[in-house]
Amino acid sequence: MSLSRSPSIHENPTTMRTLRLFLFVFALPIALAFVPASRADAAAPAPSLDDYRHFRAVAIDLLGRMPTRDEVAAFEKPGFSLDAWIEGHLEGGTYTDRLSRVYMDVLRLAPSPSTQFAPDATTLYRHQILGHDKKPVWVYFRARQRRTREETDGEFCLTKEETGVEIAARMQPKNPAEMKPVSKAVLEQHTVLVKPWWLYRDYLSTQPTRRYKMGWDDPDPTYQPVESLLNDPDGKPTMEIRVCREEAQTMTTGHVYVTGRTPPPKGAPMPNGRTRPLPLDSAYAKQHKDEVISCQSKLAVESSTECGCGVALEHCLPNESDQAGGAAFYFPNHIPLGLDQPIDSARQQAQRWYPFWWSQEAEHFLAYLFGADRDFREVLTARYSVINGPLAQFYRAIQPGNCCGGEANFGMVQETEPLFLPANVPTELFPHDVRAWKVVPDRGPHAAGLLTTPMFLEKYASARARGATLYTAFLCKSFSSENAELMPSTEPNLMVRPGCSNCHATLEPLAAYFSRIEPGNLVFLPQQLFPVKNEKCKKGPNGKLPGFCDAFYDVSFADAAGATLRSAYGSPAHADATPAGAGHDIVQMPEFAECAVQRVAGSFLGRTLTTDDGPLVGDLVAGFKKDGYRMRPLVRAILKSNAYRHANNLDSSVWRGGAK
Amino acid sequence: MQRRTFLKALLLAGMPMRVLADESTKAGAPPGEFFVFIHASGGWDVTLWADPRNEKKGIIHPASSENTDPSQVRHWVDAPMEDGTRTFEMVKAKSGAHFGPGIGDLLDVSDRITVVNGLAMNTVSHPDGSAFSATGRHLVGGRSPAPSIDTMVANELGREQLFPIVSVAFPSAYVGDGLDRRVVPLTVGQIGSVSRSLARTQIYDADTDRDEVTAMLSQEANDLAARSAYPDVLRGVGLQMESLRRMLGSKLSDAFSADALRKAHPQFNYKGRFHGGNSVNAAFAVEAMTRNVVRCVSFSLGGFDTHGTNYRTHAQLLQETMDLVAILLKSLDGVPHPTLAGKKLADHTHLIMVSDFCRTPQINMQGGRDHYPNNSALVISPRFKGGLVFGKSDPEQLLPARSKKFVDGERAIAPPDLLATFLSSFHVNPRKYMRDGEIVPELLKA
Amino acid sequence: MNRAHRAALALASLAAVATVAVACGPKEIVPPEVGPKLTVTSTTTQDSAPKEELRMVPAEAYMRTYLTLFGGLAPLEVQKRARGADGAQLFDTWDDYFASLGFPDYRIDMPRSQQTNALMVATFERLGVALCDRAVEHDLKAKPPVNERVVFAFEIPPSGATLDKAAFETRFDVLHRTFLAYPAKLAPTDRTARFFKLYEDVHKRHAAAPGKPRLSADEVAWANVCYGLVRHPEFHLY
Repeated sequence: MSLSRSPSIHENPTTMRTLRLFLFVFALPIALAFVPASRADAAAPAPSLDDYRHFRAVAIDLLGRMPTRDEVAAFEKPGFSLDAWIEGHLEGGTYTDRLSRVYMDVLRLAPSPSTQFAPDATTLYRHQILGHDKKPVWVYFRARQRRTREETDGEFCLTKEETGVEIAARMQPKNPAEMKPVSKAVLEQHTVLVKPWWLYRDYLSTQPTRRYKMGWDDPDPTYQPVESLLNDPDGKPTMEIRVCREEAQTMTTGHVYVTGRTPPPKGAPMPNGRTRPLPLDSAYAKQHKDEVISCQSKLAVESSTECGCGVALEHCLPNESDQAGGAAFYFPNHIPLGLDQPIDSARQQAQRWYPFWWSQEAEHFLAYLFGADRDFREVLTARYSVINGPLAQFYRAIQPGNCCGGEANFGMVQETEPLFLPANVPTELFPHDVRAWKVVPDRGPHAAGLLTTPMFLEKYASARARGATLYTAFLCKSFSSENAELMPSTEPNLMVRPGCSNCHATLEPLAAYFSRIEPGNLVFLPQQLFPVKNEKCKKGPNGKLPGFCDAFYDVSFADAAGATLRSAYGSPAHADATPAGAGHDIVQMPEFAECAVQRVAGSFLGRTLTTDDGPLVGDLVAGFKKDGYRMRPLVRAILKSNAYRHANNLDSSVWRGGAK
Repeated sequence: MQRRTFLKALLLAGMPMRVLADESTKAGAPPGEFFVFIHASGGWDVTLWADPRNEKKGIIHPASSENTDPSQVRHWVDAPMEDGTRTFEMVKAKSGAHFGPGIGDLLDVSDRITVVNGLAMNTVSHPDGSAFSATGRHLVGGRSPAPSIDTMVANELGREQLFPIVSVAFPSAYVGDGLDRRVVPLTVGQIGSVSRSLARTQIYDADTDRDEVTAMLSQEANDLAARSAYPDVLRGVGLQMESLRRMLGSKLSDAFSADALRKAHPQFNYKGRFHGGNSVNAAFAVEAMTRNVVRCVSFSLGGFDTHGTNYRTHAQLLQETMDLVAILLKSLDGVPHPTLAGKKLADHTHLIMVSDFCRTPQINMQGGRDHYPNNSALVISPRFKGGLVFGKSDPEQLLPARSKKFVDGERAIAPPDLLATFLSSFHVNPRKYMRDGEIVPELLKA
Repeated sequence: MNRAHRAALALASLAAVATVAVACGPKEIVPPEVGPKLTVTSTTTQDSAPKEELRMVPAEAYMRTYLTLFGGLAPLEVQKRARGADGAQLFDTWDDYFASLGFPDYRIDMPRSQQTNALMVATFERLGVALCDRAVEHDLKAKPPVNERVVFAFEIPPSGATLDKAAFETRFDVLHRTFLAYPAKLAPTDRTARFFKLYEDVHKRHAAAPGKPRLSADEVAWANVCYGLVRHPEFHLY
């Protein structure tokens, strides 16, 4: 196996062609232009210790490792040009890793151990029952699935009477010893057999045949379902799985299901042997009875009996357990050298599958940005991103299930302006294509570089946290309120409240850019349905908003005319500008370029830059801007600078006027 | 005038340092002290333990059956609220202090604990709050501008110790002048890594051989340092090589494996829902202090960042946290001090537990609590007054309230004050490391 | 008190007085005035030297170098080979060393280690020993062609006798270039002599060892030279 890490985007032919074209058109002439004085003359003096050390430092920074013996021998040969060598290595996986590390160290875009993503609409749990032949069988189901059968509406599709045990999502059966065989008729009436997406490469065909490692013989080696998803309880390979009938439905739309039920009298016994109350009709359902709704929405699982997980269950992620912590796939905990070189592989919780890939999207976004030497301002403004199969599935089929609940009261029954338009997801990416990364040129009009990636939004989960991160990571400024005394106050506007205002006067307008992205679920709230000031959410005489408004509108900034969108009060204009506006505005600030230069130069010099570095920073910033905010010329300039060459020099003679 | 400006003005005016630092700083460092620093990572809810609230008042929405699962919380006794939900009865300690039900088994030793409430944090950012609690300084440009308390203590009292600081995901910072390279925190992701890094096989090579290599490299580092105008890093490596020789010579690898620690200290709750895995850090502290090989053990206990429905178990989380500390304390009670005859380890062990900040007094839309710029801290130290609750927050908004008159006026206590007080109790001049902070004699035993 | 110090004090006093004067006195307008031209009294070389310490090789670069020295294998393959099937317990798992090598853990906001510490130095030794011992097995015991050897790219005489200093120096230079990327003769310390002594000491100890050890005295001696370089301060700093 080769050591040198090929960045995954290079596996994408389109990306590779773009990069090669770039290198041919731009990099080569630049390289030629920069060929400097070298030891071309055979009589040139042998390299000094300083020369060797400089070469080693450059190798560590560009190759991401120390030079090999052969590379040192090449360096010693007459005619070797370090400048040309540098030029030739301002690309490739280790170069992009080096730059990505600068920003990953600042942003730390990885899911915390407690990050979980398991919306009810897209999570399949499973329970073991006994088949009619007394053999254990797994049955997959969703929590809160609506069913026409009253006994199981909103519950597992088989009753306690049928299975002998009480089964519910996220709960272990209370009396497993009493499990009894389920008759064949009941099983076939309420469940069906499905060839699921995680087992079949050709799951979209009418008769899938290419089962994982049984007909599908070349799966991506890093796509590894856990054993219990591959084998039946008796140890035989799973060829089909049994799924509750409603969950297995494949229609794209369903109808709003209304039962007309009324709340039971207090203390009344549960009907039909149920242990939990029957689901009641929501306000939305009552108003929209029998209307058509998309099956790819949170609303569908709660309001329609006709919506399931789609073809081959493509809209749902399996979980090997009846608990939220069950596993689904193996994937690494640590990948310090990139996805291609994991240092471990762990059986991980299903709910961490997508967060893991969110993190990888951020890494690959940065790798593409730096690898193709694109305008660095795109870190906050780009509409493109780089995704693989699991992410394609996430954007196409999973994230839509994250919306909509309370949003329906404002007319949004499915996400209308998602941050990543499902239609823009490459159709050729399958959920199993773990190592196939593709550049998606346009995520949609609301995309804004890293700012609208799920990992950034999850890591910095509130509008304020997002605004503060913009300020610190990309403008190199800090919010520090040192010793301001916070006095009790009823002033809700933190931009004027004593003790708070010195930070929040700046922070609240920054936070406002993110007020259209719901904290926690990545749902975008469109201006048309969620105006900054909403007349539907008037403050009543009791000082309260209508109940459905509270999740989205802030009673502290409301009056009889309406309420203000949460987090928007600092700047309604910024709220409507959205993160895309934030990116646009931030990159135009003079601090943006200087901050980028400081971060990159500081990283290569191994120290925080000080005012003594003013002239160097000034030159680098001017060059950075002149070169179109591209990192390659900036890194080239840093590596060739005296500051870099002399950084951390061991030779004490240098400190004494250069006398050796 | 800001406190920092005021302090600088005092210094410029030539005000005697004793105003800022205790007179006893010249007395010299005491021997045989041990330290445990715990970071409750994520921001804890102080209303459930140190600064309890069980009434709806102002913006305060107390923990109740509506937002909290009290079923596993031993000190939770239902108290009705006006809206029909149930909150908790205050938990009264022997000292007369009131706590919330998250106090857990620390209640049994309430006469030995010092609680500081109403700590002014002036931040609600996790990295900044963690750094401020551990160093007394806010981050500058995303970096800590000052050393953390474990580094300060180790630099004064632990340089010669085999392990000056073992830091398990604690916000330790080694920054600033005058620090010995030996006290760079030994950072590990899990305590078992200590044992793994110290394991040596005898199959190919002998200890004598490796020891000779280490000695030679130490010499190389020192010689290179002698040739360098900026020798600190190289000298540090030389010192660290020497430390390594001692570490390997002490044959600690087996004793510090996670399995061995669990076996040697079965009293900890390794099956705990929240901190089962991290309990081994406390076991390591007991074992390493018993063997007199460590000076400071710092570790984090996570899970406190409960913005959503995970707040329902916050009280249980706190209870398990306090139980862990209580077990640690009781363990130290039962171990003789390794060098001071007739003393228990607990007589010379000092513990501070801090968090990033506290959580909002309001319950948010997701049923959890967000970040809030107030805080509490726990100190267990024979040099601090036991059974004391110092500082306060306001009754309606849980904001830090003025706790006493400081040199720069009446104000709330802040993390630098607590850390400065802690340092001073070991005759360390806080100003050697800290820009801010004033000693609070009220916290200390006479 | 030297002259410069006295001058600084005088200036400070003046500034203090001026501050008070400005604070307390009426506003005064001082007309601009061109002072006399400064004359050169002496010259000195400007100190343009770096004012920074050596920095630690990033953990990623350390690990990539380690993998290269192990033959260009992937991390998990290196882990497998370093652990081996001989029960030598030379290596645990990369995860065990992740934090002590200084890697940041973004998941828990644990920052990158910027300084070495004693446990990190211990980890470097643990990993270095595994590398060198496996390299001895691969290069010196199995004896592939010299150009296929990543670490010990030289022959050692089959006799097992100690090399003389000249023979040692040639071979040591190969290792020095492999690990520290420059010729041994440029080393600022008397490094070659030190390593030769180490080589001789270890050789002597193991030549006298009873029984049939896994490695010959010469092999152990070279393994120890390898340890000294893969753990060298210059290897870990730049």
